[in-house]
Amino acid sequence: MAATDRTFRSIRGALSAACALAGVGGVATSHATEVETAILGYTEPNRVSALETVVQARHDFGSGRLANFKVVYDALTGASASGAVPGAAVQTFTRPSGRGSYDTAPGETPLDDTFRDARVAVSGGATLPLGRLSTVSAGLYGSGEHDYTSLGANASFSRDFDRRNRTLSAGVSFSQDTVTPEGGRPIPFASMAAVGADQPRLAGDGSKDVADAMLGLVQVIDRATLVQFTYSLSRVTGYQTDPYKLVSVVDPTSGAPVDQLYEHRPDARTKHILFGRVKRQLPHGALDLSYRFMTDDWGIASHTVELRDRVALGGGGKYLQPHLRFYRQSAADFYARWLLDGAALPDHATADYRLGEFHAWTFGLEHGRDLGRDHRLTARVEYYRQVGDGHPAGAPGALANYDLFPVVDAWIFQVGYSFGS
Amino acid sequence: MAVQRRGDLFAGLFTAMAGPCEILLESCDEAQARRLAELAAAEVLRIEHKFSRYRDDSAVGAINAAAGAVVRVDDETARLLDLAARCHALSGGRFDVTSGILRRVWKFDGGDRLPSRGRVKALLPLIGWEKVAWRDPEIALPAGMEIDLGGIGKEYAADRAAELLAAAAPAAALVNLGGDLRATGPRGGGAAWRVGVEDPGREDHAERVLEMKGGGLATSGDARRYLLRDGVRYGHILNPRTGWPVRGAPRAVTVAAPTCTEAGVLATVAMLHGREAEAFLDGQGVAWWCHR
Repeated sequence: MAATDRTFRSIRGALSAACALAGVGGVATSHATEVETAILGYTEPNRVSALETVVQARHDFGSGRLANFKVVYDALTGASASGAVPGAAVQTFTRPSGRGSYDTAPGETPLDDTFRDARVAVSGGATLPLGRLSTVSAGLYGSGEHDYTSLGANASFSRDFDRRNRTLSAGVSFSQDTVTPEGGRPIPFASMAAVGADQPRLAGDGSKDVADAMLGLVQVIDRATLVQFTYSLSRVTGYQTDPYKLVSVVDPTSGAPVDQLYEHRPDARTKHILFGRVKRQLPHGALDLSYRFMTDDWGIASHTVELRDRVALGGGGKYLQPHLRFYRQSAADFYARWLLDGAALPDHATADYRLGEFHAWTFGLEHGRDLGRDHRLTARVEYYRQVGDGHPAGAPGALANYDLFPVVDAWIFQVGYSFGS
Repeated sequence: MAVQRRGDLFAGLFTAMAGPCEILLESCDEAQARRLAELAAAEVLRIEHKFSRYRDDSAVGAINAAAGAVVRVDDETARLLDLAARCHALSGGRFDVTSGILRRVWKFDGGDRLPSRGRVKALLPLIGWEKVAWRDPEIALPAGMEIDLGGIGKEYAADRAAELLAAAAPAAALVNLGGDLRATGPRGGGAAWRVGVEDPGREDHAERVLEMKGGGLATSGDARRYLLRDGVRYGHILNPRTGWPVRGAPRAVTVAAPTCTEAGVLATVAMLHGREAEAFLDGQGVAWWCHR
């Protein structure tokens, strides 16, 4: 008798999950091509909102040869703090284009509301085996937005030791960035000019070179535990001033703003970054704890501690993953929330809160599940809160009454979908 | 443990789970190969001992001897019982670890002695995973029922041994437990493993050479185990709902899957689908071979 032509439901996905729970999951079902997509929303209420779309694909040609490709599209809108201080009177600021202005109400943090941009970033790379224990990887990167372009390349080498329980890697990357701000690059420390007046601008575009070098070690401690250490050195040279940021010059007695200067940052920066991580499989899931230390010659030192605890929820690849992150940084040497009228100008100054002293917490929760054999869905919600000193010592006159470092609250939402074939 | 050199490999040979077993290791010296093969063999023997239905002191023996009482099991046994429960549900009741007692009446020795319908029917009340009270970590079998994890034990042992070797061996390794295989990955340079296994689909069990680069491979069926009566061949795969051999089952099914356990369950469930074995396998997205 001939076999019937009935079609049968696949039990393989559910069976793989059941085997994984029985401790023989070892190898995840892998596909030659895997595609991941995600949509991420970021919103600081009344400030910036961003929507980001990511598509990435990876193809395994077999024998350790891999290729990957990624496209990111970001759209940002909203207002961001310009760096100027609040004042007792209405303040009028010229838009970066020089054509038009916006007003800030008394006591309000001046926000540049012209922040609107779209960015496209494309990257791709390949990994090839070099003998039995080594691999080489190389990649290219490019991104563009209306006032910024970046082109980069990277290469790395890694080798396994100690029965593949230890992997050492070394890598370098270079990028060249070009800044072409709306209305041109302001002359550092020039006073903001009124609409219609000649705008104080530098000739030409700004450019910046970034060179990074990285050394990494991954060590398997036992069947369930893995540790990772990375040291990175980053050298940035060229135009690093933010062309849209201001520093207010205030009256030393009343604290009232008397002038708005364009900020000025050094044109070289060297960063050292140390990173350590422990990942451990536990009966209920997996724990991932990491610490990052960064120090640079701008005087910033930062510490980041991050914890993710994945809890498996029965079959179907379901999990819940709480995420906790703490970050703190010291201010750059040239960070100045204001400059005093009549005092000599420093070599460099910025009032950008991102270079000030602050700490931040992130609380998040992620859920993932398999949708059939080859499809996977993840959803993530995170809350971010950044706190600095809103009432720094020595604030002259009325400035003492204002919050000079408003809390930043942000929500992040992400939905991801991935599939393989 | 006998250790042989085979070209650029070492093979550790031992007997377990009622058959010849071998551990193939790359990039080792002989002493290292012996140590690693002994490590893998110890894991296989541990699992055989722990889940043997023939031993009263095994985890399975304790469950079967409880005569209706509740037995508390350890974590590893619990995970295997969970897997057995999932396999029962996913296979629509075909894969059933309580069906082993049918061996009392069925002897597949190539002869013509079929059991009487009455004797088979008398056993059916003692078969059916749905009658088992399994609530992690406690299990209670109705008195007279038995479980047999033999349908997944060998494949599970191959996976566990391979995972130990994946962590301990300097290069790729392959575990072969009487034709149920698991490789930790491709050989150096991405080459495939070439393994000779007995072909259970042929009555002379001629050897067949298989190539695999990773994952698991398992076979269900044995062409030598059947009964022949009045020109009708009765294969040894029994339907737990009727107690009689599955009609139209292939002589053997071989499946390749990410783990040996998955491969083994898919091969067994395919056999239990009888004439529809190929149609079932087509729907699973795995590589398979069916011997009719």
